[in-house]
Amino acid sequence: MSDRSLRATFAPWLRLLAQRRTRLAIGVLLLIVTVFSAVGLLTLSGWFIAASALAGMALALGMAVAFDVYVPGAGIRFFAVSRTVARYGERLYNHDTVLRLLADLRHRLFTAMARLDDRSLARQRASDWLNRLTADIDTLDGLYLRLLAPPAVALAAIALLAAFLALWVPLVGLAVAALLVPTWAWLTAGQAWLGMASSKRQVAHLQRLRSQAIEHLTGLAELEAYRSREWHRQNFFQREARLSRDQQRLAGVAGLGVALVNLMVGLGMVAALWLAAAAWQQGAISGAVMVMMPIAVLALGEVLALLPAAFTQLGASRGAAERLNEVEEAGQATLSAGHAQLPTGALSVRLREIVLHYPGALAPALQDLDLVVAPGQRLALTGASGAGKSSVAALLTRRMPPSQGEILLGDIPLGEVDEASLRERVAILGQRIDLFQDSLASNLRLAAPEATDAQLWQALAWVELADWAEALPHGLATPVGEGGRALSGGQARRLALARLWLRDPGLVILDEPFAGLDEGTVARLSPRLDAWLTGRSVLYLVHQLDGGAFDPPGINFVQRLPARLV
Amino acid sequence: MKRDTQPSPRRWLAAHAAGQRGWLMLAALAGIAAGALTVAQMALLAWIVSRLLVDGAPLASLTPAFLLLVAVLVARALCQWGQELSGQLASLRIRHAVRAELLDHLAAMGPVRVGARHSAGLANQLVEQVEALDGYFARFLPQLRLCVAIPLLILVVVVSLDWLAALFLLLAAPLIPLFMALVGMGAERLNRDQFVAVSRLAGHFLDRVRGIATLQLFGRTREAATEVHAAADEYRRLSMRTLRVAFLSSAVLEFFASVAIAVVAIYVGFGLLGYIEFGPAEELTLFSGLLVLLLAPEFFQPLRTLAQHYHDRAAALGAADGMLALLGEPVRPTHATTSPPPAPERCVALAAVTLTHPGRGQVLGPLDVVVERGDTLVVSGPSGAGKSALLQLLAGFVAPASGQRLAAPDLKIAWMDQRPLLIHGSLAENLRLAAPQASDAELERALTHAGLAELVAALPHGIHTPLGERGSGLSGGQAQRLALARVFLSDAELVLLDEPTASLDEATEARVIESLRRLGEDGRTLVIATHHPALMAMASRRLALHEGREQALEAGG
Repeated sequence: MSDRSLRATFAPWLRLLAQRRTRLAIGVLLLIVTVFSAVGLLTLSGWFIAASALAGMALALGMAVAFDVYVPGAGIRFFAVSRTVARYGERLYNHDTVLRLLADLRHRLFTAMARLDDRSLARQRASDWLNRLTADIDTLDGLYLRLLAPPAVALAAIALLAAFLALWVPLVGLAVAALLVPTWAWLTAGQAWLGMASSKRQVAHLQRLRSQAIEHLTGLAELEAYRSREWHRQNFFQREARLSRDQQRLAGVAGLGVALVNLMVGLGMVAALWLAAAAWQQGAISGAVMVMMPIAVLALGEVLALLPAAFTQLGASRGAAERLNEVEEAGQATLSAGHAQLPTGALSVRLREIVLHYPGALAPALQDLDLVVAPGQRLALTGASGAGKSSVAALLTRRMPPSQGEILLGDIPLGEVDEASLRERVAILGQRIDLFQDSLASNLRLAAPEATDAQLWQALAWVELADWAEALPHGLATPVGEGGRALSGGQARRLALARLWLRDPGLVILDEPFAGLDEGTVARLSPRLDAWLTGRSVLYLVHQLDGGAFDPPGINFVQRLPARLV
Repeated sequence: MKRDTQPSPRRWLAAHAAGQRGWLMLAALAGIAAGALTVAQMALLAWIVSRLLVDGAPLASLTPAFLLLVAVLVARALCQWGQELSGQLASLRIRHAVRAELLDHLAAMGPVRVGARHSAGLANQLVEQVEALDGYFARFLPQLRLCVAIPLLILVVVVSLDWLAALFLLLAAPLIPLFMALVGMGAERLNRDQFVAVSRLAGHFLDRVRGIATLQLFGRTREAATEVHAAADEYRRLSMRTLRVAFLSSAVLEFFASVAIAVVAIYVGFGLLGYIEFGPAEELTLFSGLLVLLLAPEFFQPLRTLAQHYHDRAAALGAADGMLALLGEPVRPTHATTSPPPAPERCVALAAVTLTHPGRGQVLGPLDVVVERGDTLVVSGPSGAGKSALLQLLAGFVAPASGQRLAAPDLKIAWMDQRPLLIHGSLAENLRLAAPQASDAELERALTHAGLAELVAALPHGIHTPLGERGSGLSGGQAQRLALARVFLSDAELVLLDEPTASLDEATEARVIESLRRLGEDGRTLVIATHHPALMAMASRRLALHEGREQALEAGG
């Protein structure tokens, strides 16, 4: 809760913001111009009215008074226009800045996430991790416009105004500064301190409330059967009540801040009026200047009004920054890669006494696993779902480190293999096919960025999708929809096979290669796959082999992973 | 069912607001009081200035006025605080009421209809969408009332001071609805356009993140990161085009407010100088002139604040729209539970029932099924034949489209399907969901029957070991057996099991079948939907379904 940890939490993001410091400075400057215009409009108007009244009284008494109405009149008109224009320009410019920051933030976070391994990425499937991260980015992109610019502008406005007032009556400037600078400090640091715990907890409460809602909805059948729906509902509302308590506290704190702004600005006005009146009665200033002073202080309220709500919620921003920092740290603690190049041709595989324990799991996923594939051979690894087949694939593609044991690829320890070489020489067709919201061609070129259209067509022909693709109005440019939704499961799998064909790996890992395909297609694809796999090492991952058409071609060995009891 | 009488989102929000009329009214009253105190503050300021400058009063004689001014400031601060607090209180209570309404409706819809919807989407409605109502009730609604009351109050004061100055403000007043329409149109358009752009951009980012493993395997993450930046930048360009227009509407509001101040200032100044020789200008004093000037910005302030909260309204209407769509979903008719009980030897019976699913037509029936006490009825058939639907009908989770479900009064049911409920909590809490009063020993026994004893013995804290969110840490088979342990634990007479051995390996499967046999021997009534030969062998009666109808069984079944 110390200042240092707070600063450390925000430091990486402040550094990111600092890359655009010119823009940020211009934005703050525009804000100052807006405030200056607003204060100027009211102040000058007040002075003008008082001066006119005094001149009018003098005229009525028959005294000769020279009073220039045109300069102040022009000034008032100028401020009226500049306030509008500056506000419009400021909002536009600063929103543009915020959106640029959003792009920077997303880029940075994506780069960090790209370094995460399978264990960390698996979390996103377990919860709404991803949604929360997106929300966290949105929270941080407002860092500048909510938490940095307004206090800077407010402090600058207080200082400038106090200095301006001090030019006429030093004591007034001092009094205003003495009242409003501590107020400013409270509105930022004090509000943040009061709201920190509650605002930070809010995200966690919402998160839990959401999981409880999902529990309730997906478990409605059991809850109704066992008559525990009401009980679970009570739990849900208990959580909601905790959320409400925090929200109520935050509203109270923020409300206090808002009330305080008006009170302190008002007191500043009273002080300015009293001291200015005293100075006027001593003849130090004119009556019009005396009137101008309290009005100028009053105009400051608008600048300070933005602070309480933003700073009461500082804990939420802090929580967001902490979570994003965690992602970055997890990305840095990633698996080591060396610089050894994998040999060309078929690769040998060797797993020795592998133990794999997922964090939080009740039992290890793999226990004392030994596995050997000689170059060019095809091993079928079988086992029930949950036996650990996918874990073996994750280990071999260095998407997870083993808890114990050794992995050799082409006789090189996996940890020493160069990243680019590993990605080039080891190809995998997983159970989950990721297709991107992009064209057919871009999805294929993921495997081979340099491939020509002709090669893409060849790849499609190889998986018997060429006729289908030709019939599409946009051919290779056809978008595949979100997550490939425009494609059937079988088409997606064949597209993934086509991606494989575009590459030249030395080890191929195929997880249920024919899942979701019909028998006729499999009968035609299987010999082609067989031919393409020749001269490569192959690891098949299959539920079970039954000797039928769906068994992958050319198996040399079968190894069964034991089902993991308990 | 309620579809015809669906209120509009606006009316539905108003109905909920009416439920918290007191707090909302208090918020508005506190706001109005603060507004009146602002007028008083300005009047005192103008009066003090006028006494000093015009009447030449000594400063010391004005001490009471200064003290009064401070008192007004304190009172105003308290009123403002009160406004914030009561608005928030109303909003919290309304959000609770909305959640209760949604949960009631979901319960009435029943597990089948609810299960057909995306649970994450529904949870989002229950949590985030309800939160989206906050700004509307806490800030927008009270402010909407202030928006009428405070300018009126100020206008009355200004009229009494100088009717021509009031006319300037009044001239701006008819423009206020115009401003509001402008602001509203801007905000709504912003919301709409943003929504499309935002969801597309969010879609792009999420799409790339979801496929990050694939990008890693292809060694293409660097290119993807560049794409992410480019997409976000494209979104910025798109948004700025909309914002340029959207910000104009509030700039217009700002402009008129500024111009009104300027016009009042110049009019008052010239009037005081005696340059204006018509209307009430000659009667202007420093007091009235200064007060008019000080009140001019306050006249527009409520509207400017409302404009800031306008997006709260758009957000609330959007959320309400989705909630009303959910509340319009038909519920299970309640008369199903009041149908006559079946003969005493019968647990539950279905008489000439049919079941239809929206979009799929009739999925089951017409069908007559009688489950007698102590039966072990095995329902078989190819997938899609309606086995699960039959079980759901027997449980009463869904109402038949025609025909009747006859259930023994106060029939207790145990249920297990392929996606068991796992709550955030310990193993014990997960079990007690079926029997809140069960002792630890009873829990252990149920776990043993379900074949989980070894697992629990190996756990550091036994049955008090916490499960992660949504049961993380348990495998699919373990979760299945946990649900089975609940069946053992409950004293339900009728046990409905949907594919109880799916996703189990052979060894576990054998143990579970053994446990189920014991359950039957305990005298419980079992209905099992399954393909499994060993389970079929347990049957005292069998029912084969094909395309939703009963199929004659081969002899000896």
